[in-house]
Order: sequence, then C-alpha cells, then structure tokens
Amino acid sequence: MTGAPPPFFPKAVRPSVSVTAALTLLVCVPLGRYAAPHPPERTVAAPWAPPGGRHPLGTDVLGRDVLSRVLAGGTQLLTVSLLAALAAVVCGAGLGLAAGWSGDRTARTVRALCDLLLAVPALVLALVLATALPGATAVVVAAVLAGAPLTARVVATQCAQLRDSGHVHAAVERGERTPAVLLHEVLPALRRLVAADAGLRLVTALQIAAALAVLGLGPQPPDPDWALMLSENLPGAALNPWALLAPAIPLAGCAWVFAAAARTAARVPGEAA
Amino acid sequence: MTAHVHEGLVPTDAPLLAAEGLTVRRALDGATVLPPVDVRVGPGQVLAVTGASGAGKSTLLRALLDVLPDGLHRAAGTVRWRGAAVSPGRTARRWRRARCGWLAQDPGAALHPLWRVDRLIGEEFTGDAAARALRVEALMHRLGLPPGLASRRTGELSGGQAQRVALARALCTDPELLVLDEPTSALDRATADLVAEEVRSRRGTPGRCVVLVTHDARLAAELADRTLVLAGDAHPAARADATVRPGPRATAAVRGRMTSTPWKEPLRPIAGPASPQAGRPPRMAADPAPSPAPVLSARGLALRTPDGTPLLDAGDLDLPAGGWLAVTGRSGSGKTTLLHALAGRRPSAAGQLLLRGRPLPAGTRSRDRRTLRAVQLAGQDTAAELNPAHTVGRAVARPLKVFHGATAAAGRERVRELLDAVGLPAELAGRRPAALSGGQRRRVVLARALAAEPDVLLLDEPTAGLDPDSARLVLDLLDRLRENGPAVLTVTHDADTAARADRVLHLTGRRLVPRPHTTPDHPLDERTEHSGVRPHDG
Repeated sequence: MTGAPPPFFPKAVRPSVSVTAALTLLVCVPLGRYAAPHPPERTVAAPWAPPGGRHPLGTDVLGRDVLSRVLAGGTQLLTVSLLAALAAVVCGAGLGLAAGWSGDRTARTVRALCDLLLAVPALVLALVLATALPGATAVVVAAVLAGAPLTARVVATQCAQLRDSGHVHAAVERGERTPAVLLHEVLPALRRLVAADAGLRLVTALQIAAALAVLGLGPQPPDPDWALMLSENLPGAALNPWALLAPAIPLAGCAWVFAAAARTAARVPGEAA
Repeated sequence: MTAHVHEGLVPTDAPLLAAEGLTVRRALDGATVLPPVDVRVGPGQVLAVTGASGAGKSTLLRALLDVLPDGLHRAAGTVRWRGAAVSPGRTARRWRRARCGWLAQDPGAALHPLWRVDRLIGEEFTGDAAARALRVEALMHRLGLPPGLASRRTGELSGGQAQRVALARALCTDPELLVLDEPTSALDRATADLVAEEVRSRRGTPGRCVVLVTHDARLAAELADRTLVLAGDAHPAARADATVRPGPRATAAVRGRMTSTPWKEPLRPIAGPASPQAGRPPRMAADPAPSPAPVLSARGLALRTPDGTPLLDAGDLDLPAGGWLAVTGRSGSGKTTLLHALAGRRPSAAGQLLLRGRPLPAGTRSRDRRTLRAVQLAGQDTAAELNPAHTVGRAVARPLKVFHGATAAAGRERVRELLDAVGLPAELAGRRPAALSGGQRRRVVLARALAAEPDVLLLDEPTAGLDPDSARLVLDLLDRLRENGPAVLTVTHDADTAARADRVLHLTGRRLVPRPHTTPDHPLDERTEHSGVRPHDG
C-alpha cells in the first residue's frame, strides 16, 4: 500500500439534498422573523390586498403583510411537531425493543396497551387533551399517544426477529448488557425502519398541531402561525389566494423534507436496500 | 483482460448465453468491481467460474442476470441469450423468470422465512397440484432431502439443507439457464456429490446450460466444460487478497507470498504482559500419547432440533489445550447445533460442559464475562453474523474493548493486525458487510472471534466460500495460533480442514464416533487435488 493510510472508519454520510434542505429549514425558520420586511403583527395596508409593490404576497384579513407573517410563523409549529415526533419515536422504539426482546408477558402487555390506544382516534384525543392542557403540550401528548403504539408494534416485530440473528447472539456472548445489546446491535440494524417511521410520526404531529391551531386551540391571534393563518384567511381566498397558499406550501414542504431527510440519513452507502 | 478461459473438450457452436465486456462499477466512487469479462456458454455446456475471494464471482453472476445489489451498476457490456440482447430492466426480468434458475450465495437469507419447504420448492412450477407435489418430492429425493423436511420452515433447516432447498427451487421448472453460486459450500462430500450429479445430468442436454461459481477444484474439474478464472486485480480493495492466477507458473509464487507475509509475531494479549513462549506443551499431532488436560469437555451431551427431533444422545468430547478437533457429519446431522450448545447460544437438552475442569453454565446468560471470553464461536451464516449497520472495524474492535479494555487507537492497530492475519486488506475495516464478498465476511467473523483471544475457538465451516489459497491461509493461521493460543473445534465438510485436526469425530446416527483421520480408505481422504474429468454419460 502506498500513500496515506486508508480511512479506518468511514466518513460521515455524504451530504444529500434532503438532509441539507432539512438542516437549512431548521436554521432558517426560527431566523425568518428577522428577515421579515414588516412587523408581522402590525396592519400595514388594506385587507386582502393582492400581491404587488411593498407586499410581494399581498396582505391578509387585517391588512398585515403575508410574506412577513409566513417568514415569522413557522417556529412554534415546527418546534412542537419535531418534539412531538421525537417523543413518539423514542417512546415507541423503547417500548417496541422491550417488548420484542422479552417476548413474554411484557410483550403481551405492551401489545394490549398499544391496541387500546390505537382504538382512539388521534384527533379526538388531541381535542380532549387540548381542553385540559396548553396547546403545545396537548400536541406532544396526543402525538405520543397516537404514534408511539404504531412505532412500538413495528419495532417489536422486527426486534423479535433479530433476537435470533448471529450478530445479536455474538453480542450476548460478549457479555454485553441487555440495554447495550438493544442500543448498539438491534437498534442500528433497525435504524432505517425507525427513520422511515419517524417521518410518518412527524407528519402525524404536524397534522395534529395544524388541526388544533385551525380550531383555535393552539397559538392565539395575533401571533403569526402557518396553521392559524389558514383559518384566518380562508374567507378571503378569492381576493388574495396567496394569503392561504403562502402558509400552506411551507407547512406541507416541511413535512416532506423532514420525512425524506430522516430516510436518507439512515441510509448507508454500500448497504443493500 | 483479466479473465482467462481454458477451453475444454466440447466443441462450441452458437452459444446460448454470451456476454461481452461485462463491467460492473460501484455507484458511490466509480471503482471497478468487475473488470471487463467475456462469457460464452454453449448448449449443454457447464461453465465454472473460479477466483480468489472478493474477485467478483458473485458480482459476475448478478451482472449476467441483472440482479446487482444497490450501489453497483453495470457500466458496460452486453448479455445475449440465443443471440438476442437481454437489456437490463424489464427484458432481463422476463428472461430471468422464463429461462433462468438462480441459486444465490446465502440461501438462508433468500428463502421466505414463513413458507414451508414444499411451497418454497414448488412455487415457480406451472402445472396442477398433483404434478407439482410429485416434482417436489422427486427433487427432494434426488438432492438427499428427507421427505419429513417438506413441512419445515427456513429457520428449522440446517445450512446445508437450506442450500439444497434453494437449489431444488431453482431446478423445479427445469430452467434453460441454471446459475449456481457455490452450490456445495455448506455440504458434506456425499451430499455434494448428489448436487454434482444434478449438474452433470444437464451436461450435453441441448438447450440447457449451467454457470457455476465454486471454490471446489474437484467439482470444477469434474463438471465444467470450461473454466473462467477471475483475477480481480482491478479491484483496489481486494488487491491484497485476490490471488492473480493467470496460469500455473504464477500460482506457486503467489502461494509463497500468501503463506509467508502475514504475521511477523504471534498474537499476544493486548492487556498484560506478553505471553511466555512455549508455555504449553507442543501439540500432539497424530500421537495418541497422554493428551494434556482438556480445556473444554462435554459429558452426556444431548441435542435436539427446535421441534424436538433428537440429533445426539449422550455425546462426550474432550478438547485438549492446543488441540484441534474436527467434527464431521452429513448435512443436517446436528453439527451446528453442537457448536451452539457448546457456545451457549442454544443450550443442550441434557449433559454437562466443563471448562478447564470447572462446570460451564449451559446458557450464555448465566456465564460470566471471563467464561464468555474463553469460548468464542464463529458462526456459519455470515450474512446474519455481522451487523449490517456496523463497519468491519467496529465489529472486530468491539471484543477488544469489552474483553481487554483496549483504547480506540490500540483497537484500531489490533484490528489491522487481525485483518492482516486472516488475509484481508486494512481498507476493509471501513466497509460494511453488504460491501464484502461471502469469503471476506467469513474471515471477518473469524477475526472477530480471534479478537477476544479465546481459550476455545469454535468454528462453523471456517473455510466455506473461501478460495483454496485463502482457505490455506486461514488453516495455517489456526495451526500457528493454537501452539500458544486457543484450542480449536471445527465442524466442517471440507476434507482439507478435517485433515488439519488432531482428532476427527463423526456425528452420525445420533452418536459421536471417533474417526482416525489417517485411515487411507476413508472417503474424507480420498480427495485429491484433481480427480480428472469424469466421462459423462450420454
């Protein structure tokens, strides 16, 4: 061999389009407020003004600048949804690993609990919770209660299958403790499944957060918020459609970008599909 | 050109299968995995593909069939069937389905885990249920699979049984092109002959042809009309372990290099002082004189399959320090189950294990870490044995950290030594199992077991899927190591491996029978380098 020694451990996964886009969103959405041309809470023109001049996307129901409100309006929604999805995946994967590994009464108890929770529609759950809890907390709790059972079921099944594979046996034969086996052997082998599942959980969390906001149970006016803007500007859709489209596009785009990024980040070069 | 075709006796007319300049590259960095290769197989012909581990044999088969894994793509070349081009994509898929039977390298992974054996074999068969049942029964009989296996599922099959079920599946539709990737790697001699017979019966049949990857020189010599030797010298990562074999002259030189380079000094413990030389008595070759105290013994060991069929009643075995014990037996006789029982992976139904005279708990969970380190298993199914998410470096370094508290830097250095010892280049440390060949994975599993510095090394088919040079390197390494290191217990079908052992036990009729390996008329020893090309009937 000549030249520099070969890299021993692989370089980080090559930056991909979706991961880069997700990181950009994470940085830019909270900073958007500072890029807003107008104060997002202040009336600056006539209501429902069409795009043009000083207001590239027109104005909304109270004559506020749509562009400024879109730039400022994603932080809370995104933070709450990401937290909720993360919590759901962590709880679900943890439960699933425990159930899949033990394979006995724990597994049956977890499965029964999951089935029970799955019988309750997520939105109903969120609405009930929102009456008792602050909006953001309700979103997180509802996303966990609705999402974690789904994650747990999938992870438990896969974990039970992996229990008998050679590399897991080899780890047990090294004397690794059960949590170490689960975290270092089973979970990495399941990471693509968990990542794909995390994308689904994020979409669910965004839906719950948006639904509560539309129903007025989330952020309160005059705070700028993408979901709140949807319900505020629905009556003026014919006058200035951008007041409606401008918050809807980043709302859907975020879900899509983060789901794609989660899948890509878990992929490893050279591994079969 | 790196491939050389040795023409055989059968005259070639218009080939059934022809490929020109077939080249495979890795998508990630554009590295050439398979340098341009030409393949021509005429009607009734058998083409054997040989070459060093990692030379691209499986990749060639996959490129022919257009079933390359993600991350590899066919960069150039054409495949023709009866003169018509088979373009990748839909045409190739239809062609595969209509004309090809394909046995992949890891049959256990390719078989549906929930289907019964009879359904697996007969899936592609077009015909009524009765004809299908007859066909499946006949195939199972011809491949030496007992009828009772028909109702089992993949997880209840031994490695060799799974391989034959996958072969029966490929044979079921009597395909025009049969593509076999190491069809006998998990089979004992007698069972391998059944498989060879199956291939031989297709020789000379018009409209049928076979492409066969094998490391078994005997099989290739007996069956093949032509042999394609892949050198794989354009594959940078495999350069160090690929054996360039353009002809007999260079082979000797390469062998000399391979047996002399590895390992300047013997393995030493990472923590603590260097092991004293000659600390243990020299090994007893074929000498029946007083053997040293056994490191590992089993008394009254009883083994069963998961569904309760007894495999062994009351077997005893003793493994002396520095000794090498080989266990042979027919495919499905319970060899792997025996190793799993000794390793604690699947505790035996009855019996006692002793490690240096002290009772050894049956299950891994009740063994302490020192005992766990002392007994290391390198398993058979290399695809499952390595975590798909971990790099080779991480897999081999982990036992160093767990058992010897090695730091990251010391671990890296040691991993490099271990990989070198088993004949793998250091670049492989950064790769994941999916980017390794079957033979490379097997040696990584061995390196991982060696990293623990065990007292007893349990090896399940340590040379299956290895080309002769790599196999010899591994066997030489084990022979050298056991002077001062682990006693070795291998279960194997391979006569060369069994011949290295001090003692050979045969697992047959639910008993462990001692078998002196020097008996001249023993089938294990009648194997020679080449038994010549057998005249085939008709």
